[in-house]
Amino acid sequence: MQFDVAFALSTVPTILGAIGMTLLVAASSCVGASAIGFGFELIRRSGGWGGLLVGFVIDFIRATPVLVWLYCLYFILPFYGIRLGALATGMIGLSLYYSGYLAEVFKAGIDAIPNGQAEAAKALGLGRMDMTIFVIAPQMLRNIAAPMGNYFVSILKATPYLAVLAVPEMLGRAFDIASDTYRYAEPLTVAGLIFLGLALLISQAIKRLEIRLLGPTAR
Amino acid sequence: MTQTDDKPAVQIASLNKWYGAFHVLKEVNLTIPSGSRVVICGPSGSGKSTLIRCLNGLEAYQQGTVTLGTIELGANARETVLARRQTGMVFQSFNLFPHLTVLSNCTLALRRVLRMPRNEAESLARHFLEKVRIPEQATKYPAQLSGGQQQRVAIARALCMNPRLMLFDEPTSALDPEMVKEVLDVMTGLAHEGMTMICVTHEMGFAREVADQVVFMDQGSIVEQASPVAFFSTPNHPRARSFLNTLLH
Ligand SMILES: Nc1ncnc2c1ncn2[C@@H]1O[C@H](COP(=O)(O)OP(=O)(O)OP(=O)(O)O)[C@@H](O)[C@H]1O
Ligand SMILES: [Mg+2]
Repeated sequence: MQFDVAFALSTVPTILGAIGMTLLVAASSCVGASAIGFGFELIRRSGGWGGLLVGFVIDFIRATPVLVWLYCLYFILPFYGIRLGALATGMIGLSLYYSGYLAEVFKAGIDAIPNGQAEAAKALGLGRMDMTIFVIAPQMLRNIAAPMGNYFVSILKATPYLAVLAVPEMLGRAFDIASDTYRYAEPLTVAGLIFLGLALLISQAIKRLEIRLLGPTAR
Repeated sequence: MTQTDDKPAVQIASLNKWYGAFHVLKEVNLTIPSGSRVVICGPSGSGKSTLIRCLNGLEAYQQGTVTLGTIELGANARETVLARRQTGMVFQSFNLFPHLTVLSNCTLALRRVLRMPRNEAESLARHFLEKVRIPEQATKYPAQLSGGQQQRVAIARALCMNPRLMLFDEPTSALDPEMVKEVLDVMTGLAHEGMTMICVTHEMGFAREVADQVVFMDQGSIVEQASPVAFFSTPNHPRARSFLNTLLH
């Protein structure tokens, strides 16, 4: 079967029609994973039993395939009376899964901040919360812009997993076309290229951000 | 903090601290009257930093009491926070916040801790930047300043909180020689205004000119405490004598 460029182009509007869903899932999972991961890392750093427990949870998450999380949330939670829609399940699943990885990134970013920063904040009388928000978090972000961006790209690339929950994202659309027309190469190529474009855009944005963050404020 | 002038600014009584099995502060007793300037010196590892870090809660201790004005640290959580807030600290490595401008470094605690409106905080910050003689650097970032300028910003940042007590831990040790003077000048100015100051420093010229007490520490104890004149002319303790000799040569 020959690659039919005209047919490929004709699939673009349908597949692109789902880009909104892909971006919605990716963006909300990035936000969710960052928030949960940062919370995890703060608890882990505070030590004690909570810290140990969260440390275990982070390792557990990172040792499990993402599909296990999605299936568990989707098929097992309803047995306990918790019913989430497919979309919500997908976003929560990706957020939880990547929160484990982002917690590790945040850890590296915080570890790299000299002790003196927290000491100066304490000496000025800043509380824990203010210190975290105004002193630690901004410097952490500056330290980890690149690896964090890589995980955001990973989250984007993980959105097709939501096909197992029948969330209508781009790869799912491409597959629908393929099974209707028995032509796989064209729609899958188109979907792949769109993902590639999005990933490049994110990396570029992160690079810009990094340059800005590192500008005159570098140590 | 309700502080009356007859109460000493700092009273350290029978302070003992251990790092694990290592006895880092041994029975330290020290009374610092309001308005006085104390220079702490001693060999590396003698516990100078540990001692002054105990005065603002950066280090915990196992025995003894530290009283700032009328507030005993650790006795009452709310008062302890207040006492710390009124204690400024300047570090050897400046510890300015690199992601904030000079002005924001100075206003952060004013705004977050004292809930001061932005305008008021900024004009106060500018006042203290002028006092340390770098008003023109307000919009720069720390990395764009020289070491001496950064340390002066750190002093201004601490002064913004209107401290009753200023702690300095080797404020000039990380500076190139030509920048030491600009920082010492600012500190001398503060001393002349009556600020209560505790300085860990090996700048003996500064100690001679500004201090009213010199405290010499060795192996976690205060082994000599004297006026600068007495300390420099006739140090009693043999270790103080040998320490002064190494400084002079
Ligand atoms: N967190 C810590 N854990 C264990 N030991 C420590 C710790 N901090 C300091 N020490 C030890 O306590 C002793 C006193 O340290 P401190 O920093 O107070 O000395 P110092 O007089 O300020 O020395 P320097 O002139 O080198 O700054 C040193 O022997 C040091 O190794
Ligand atoms: Mg020291």
